[in-house]
Parts: sequence; structure tokens; C-alpha cells
Amino acid sequence: MRNVTNRLALPVALAAVLALVACGGGGGTSSGPPTQTGDLALGVIAPFTGPAAEFGTLLTAPCLAATDLINSDGGVMGHKVNCTSIDDTGDAADAVPNVTKAIATTTNLDWAIGLESNTAATTVPIVNGAKIPFFTTNGLTAFTKNNYAYYYRMTPGDDANGAAFAVWAVQQGYKKIAIVFQNNIGSEGNLPGLQAAMPKLGGSIALNLTIPADAASYSSDVERVIQASPDVLIWSADPQTTATFMANYKQLNNGNLPPMVTATDSLTPDFFNAVTKTVGADYVTNKIWLVGSYFDQTTAAFNTYKAALLADSKTHDIAPVLSTVGPPAGAYDGINIMALAMIEAKTTIGSYYNQYILDVVKPKSGATVVSNFADGAAALKAGKQIQYVGVLGQPTFDKYHNSAGEFDANKFNADGSATEVGKISGAQVIQLLG
Amino acid sequence: MQLFVEAIGFGIASGAVIALGAVGFSVQFGMSNILNITYGSLMTLGAYVGLFLIDRSVSPWVALAVAGAVVGAISVVFHRVLLAPLVRRGTRAFALVIVTVSAGVILQYVIVAFAGPDAKSYGELSGQTFRLLGFVLTASQVTIIVIAVVLMLALHLLLTQTHLGRAMRATASNRILAQSCGINTDFVSDLAWLLSGALCGAAGVALAITTVSFDFSLGPVFLIPMIAAAVLGGIGQPYGAMLGGLVVGVATELTAAYSNPEYSQVAAFAILIAMLLIRPRGLFGAAWATRRLMA
Repeated sequence: MRNVTNRLALPVALAAVLALVACGGGGGTSSGPPTQTGDLALGVIAPFTGPAAEFGTLLTAPCLAATDLINSDGGVMGHKVNCTSIDDTGDAADAVPNVTKAIATTTNLDWAIGLESNTAATTVPIVNGAKIPFFTTNGLTAFTKNNYAYYYRMTPGDDANGAAFAVWAVQQGYKKIAIVFQNNIGSEGNLPGLQAAMPKLGGSIALNLTIPADAASYSSDVERVIQASPDVLIWSADPQTTATFMANYKQLNNGNLPPMVTATDSLTPDFFNAVTKTVGADYVTNKIWLVGSYFDQTTAAFNTYKAALLADSKTHDIAPVLSTVGPPAGAYDGINIMALAMIEAKTTIGSYYNQYILDVVKPKSGATVVSNFADGAAALKAGKQIQYVGVLGQPTFDKYHNSAGEFDANKFNADGSATEVGKISGAQVIQLLG
Repeated sequence: MQLFVEAIGFGIASGAVIALGAVGFSVQFGMSNILNITYGSLMTLGAYVGLFLIDRSVSPWVALAVAGAVVGAISVVFHRVLLAPLVRRGTRAFALVIVTVSAGVILQYVIVAFAGPDAKSYGELSGQTFRLLGFVLTASQVTIIVIAVVLMLALHLLLTQTHLGRAMRATASNRILAQSCGINTDFVSDLAWLLSGALCGAAGVALAITTVSFDFSLGPVFLIPMIAAAVLGGIGQPYGAMLGGLVVGVATELTAAYSNPEYSQVAAFAILIAMLLIRPRGLFGAAWATRRLMA
């Protein structure tokens, strides 16, 4: 009798477990995949404290814009969405406990954005390991080829950015460049692309300096740049380091400053204000080019995005500038794509809806092309296939889930907003890297 | 050769700023035997007091003096209200360090709450550029060097040539013995915190002028080079801290001029370690101060 009981125990237990799984443990129905109950937490994994804290603000903005629109449309399958700040502090080591704790303690955290360059090396494996789909804004070349199933990137890698810097500098007639990058992983990631592209474009690198952040003086570094007499400065550094360096340059070069090509990462109020205060608005608006991923700012998707930024009191003031910057726009698109993938998968659980993400953006005949969440959700509800084409245009993910797109060059306006002044072919950039 | 001479000049200029803070730190530690990490955040506070005044069209040099006075007064209160009671209760040195670290972090957050996290600037205050004997220095750099030298000399004279200075040194050396000799050690201690705090506030403004752009992390970022300069010169010795600051500044600039600037601070700290291996009490340090530092 005892043997019979033991033999029966295993199948009964298995049946019980299967029944629980089918119910999802969270209010799902037995007819579909498991899902969750209650509000959804959308993780904004970014620095909210420390020297890089401005990234937290910049990445929260697209989250607010996207979730405002999603919630006003009734949420994702009726779930309201909240942006949840997860402070990675901008430090790769400090990020580990913070992100791990947030994943363990936050209810319904099954999607995320952010994971920028300073911390991506440690945060990407953690979030991927938790089976949480995420759209990262990092530009690290280390992720150009990767094996993370839940990883998606809609911004170009730093190596591609570096090559785009070179293309733009040469297009402006500057063939002798000096490279000055701050010693952080994001800035230095531009170097391989620059070094690969410059010789192919007929240019030369007169000097290549890596400088520390927050020094009391950069006078000796500046003197080396002046002695190299470059046509243009290829630059990547935080606002304060830039302000100190350029102030030293102005002092030591009789008030003259070289033209600068830098990344659209610097298209921030902090950078504009810090550098304008130290070397003047004339230089900042006329001699600095900001090169980065390009997107058409006349599309319906862009107008919806910008209107949402303007409508939220927390993002209203930064909307004119922020709406023109690639990585936040990529984060906004990423949220819409994940939300639509949830609806298509009929579940909000990452490990289930992840396989639908590529399907949401994949070009397919007969699909309804949508440029915002509401249209996509309505089409899916009507049983149609959809193809999301967002602010950054048609995403073209490679097998590593990277979608680089095109590049453009911008200049600051007097109010700190930016104007596009030229385009750089993404195909040319990729060719130069090859 | 031209770059070498220029780098020496740049090093003297940035070293003077480090020295200004290092002298105050050295005096404070020498007098109180407390490794006050809040010093960095107080320096930041000085920079923001300067910003408040300069934004209201006050001369930067007047702002430097006022910031010194404000931070000096706050330092006295900080010592009286928080640190002195802990010392009286026999709190261990390590715990005191943690208290000062905590207070520094709190002060940083208070500054952010009032002034915001974004970068600030006094604007371009460097003034005319002078080229002399291969050195290239701006008017503001020359002024800061002069201020640092004058304050160092004044402090040196105070400590060595006045009754008050002798009382301060006596209190630093043996507080109980000083009390039994009739010295009002509480008053002397307050004065030491006032003076060192004033140097801390002035250093904050000088740093903000030099770096041109700054935020709430200004002081803590530069505290380590300042402590290095103070230790290099010999704790408790103003002229030692001054020399230490110059060594740190010049080593940093020479490294930036001739090798990878990324490692410019590494050179300064390598010199510090080498110096301590050869001469544990620093360039001018007294044996008692070294024992305290090692304790």
C-alpha cells in the first residue's frame, strides 16, 4: 500500500504544479499564457545620483512620454504602466547590487530601458539573466556582437559613431584631427571607428589624448593639442571636463578655439550651459558639431513623441532639445515595441513576449504600419498584423538585436536646442568600419 | 623644453589651489587629530557660497574671503556640535572618520537640494594671460598663487611668532598639559577650526575659479590630492602642505605633458608613496603628527 501511495504521489504533484503554471500564479486564464495582475513596472535603469545623474533625467523623459500615451489608451491589456527609477549610479560595480535588488523586490518588473554605457557591462547580464526584455542606450562596441536573448539596441555602437565623426570632419574639409577623449568606456569606444576611418578618408590623426575627468587644470594637455595644430578637435567628455579644457584652451591660445566634432550625447542642457558660460555662445553655436544617429523629425511618430514630451509637466521644458536626441527616442520606440509585443503575445511576462518583439517591427506584406502604441494596440485587437515604424524609422535588427540606422550632424541654437545641418550615410559608416 | 617650463608653471598654478586646501586640512588634523572627510563637502559649500555672491556681481576675490569666513564659522559649529561631543565620549578615531564621511555625504545632498545637480560656473574669470620666462599664467592664477603664499606665510608666522600660535601648538601636542598651563584649549581649538575652515572655503572658491565649471562633487574629488599634499609635506606643517601641493600639481602637469594624461594623478600618488617609504613623517612633519596618522 505504501508503494502505491509513493507511486501516486509523483504524478499528483506534477499535475498540481502544471495546474499552477497554467494559472500563472497571478490571475491568468487557463486558455492563454500566464500573465500578471496589477500595474506594470517599467525599469529605467540609469544613474540618478552621482556625476552622471543627468542620464537618469534624460532617460526618464521618454519613459514618461511613452507611458503617458500608453496609460491614456487604457494601458497594456488593461495594466497601467509606471516608470520605475533604478539607480545604477553610473558606476559599473555599484550598479550590481542596486539593479539586483530592484529586480528582486519590484513587482511586475518585466521590461526595462537604459543600461547606458557606464554600467552596461555589468547590468546587461543581470537583466538578461532575469529574462527581462530591455532596450539599452549603451554604445559599447562589446555589444556589437552578443548572445543576450533579451537585449535590444536601437542606437549605433560607439565604433560606428567614431567613424561618423571622421566622415563629418573630412566632409567639412578638416583632414588633420586631434582626438581628445575622456577616460570612460563610452568616450573611448569611439576610438576604433575613428582610427579605422580616418586613413581611408585621406585624413590623419595629429594627436590622440585620453584625459581624466575633473582635473584642476588641463593646461599641459591643451598645450600638446596646440602644438599639434589640428584642423579640428574630435571630442568626447562630460560637460565639466569640456568646460575646464576649453577654458584652458582659450587662455593659452590667445582666445582662439578650434572647431569641434562631438557626439549627440553632448546635446544636453548641462553641456550647453557649462560650455557656453565658459567660452561663450558664439563658439558653442557656430563651431561645435554634434554627430549621432539620425531620424526624420517630420514624421507622425516624431510628432506624437514630441507632443507627449511637451504635454508632461516633468518633461515639458526639455522637450525641444530632448526630442531631437537619438538614444532617448530609441528608448521611447523600445517601450512601444515591447508593449505591442506583450499584446501580441497576450502576456506581460518577459520570457513569453520576448519572442514577439522582432515580429512587431518586421516588415511583412499586408501588415498595418503603425507609428504609435494606440494604433498598434487597436490593430492587434482587430486581429491584424502590425509593423511598428517609430521615431527612429524602420528598425532593422541584425541577429544580435542591434539596429544602427543613419547619422546626422547638428548644431546648437542660441536657446540650447539643436538644428540638423547635414546627413551621414549609415552604409558609408559601416563600409569604413569593415 | 618649452613644454617642460610651461608644465612647471601650470603645475605651480594648480598646485597653489591644492596647497590652499591642503594647508587648512593639515592644520585641522594637526590640531584636532580628526581625519575630517567633511572637509571636501565644506570646500564645495565654499564654492557655492562664492557662486551666490558672484552671481550678485560681488568681486570673486571678495567672494573668496566671504566664503572663507562662512565656511570657517560653519566648521567651528560642526566641530563644537558634532565632533567635540563625540571625542569627549571617547569615540574611536575610525568611528569619527565614518561620522565625517557621513556628514560630508549629507552636506552634498543638502547642496544638491538647494542648488541642483547641474554644472555651475562663475564664468570666465581668468583675466589677462601673462607670458614670462616661459611660464604662461593667467591673472587669476597669479592672484591665487599670491593668496596661497600670503596665507601660508601668515599662518606660519601665527603659529611660530605669536602667543596664540604657541598655545595652538601646545594644544596640538598635549591638550591636558596645555590646559594645566592655563591655556583655554576650547578657545584655541575653535580658532584652529575657524582658520582651517576659512582656508577650506577659500580653497573651494579658488578651485571653482580654476576648474571654471563645477558641481556638488567638486570638493570630494579634490580632497584626495589635498590629503596627499598635506601628508607629503608633513601633517601639521603649513609650509610642508604648501610644498606638498606644489609637488602634486607639478607632477600631475609634467605627466600630462610627457606621457598619457590619463595617468597624471597616478604619478602624484606614486611620489607620495615613495616619499612615505623614505620619510614616513613627510617633508617637514613632526614625529608626533606621524604617530597620530599611523594610529
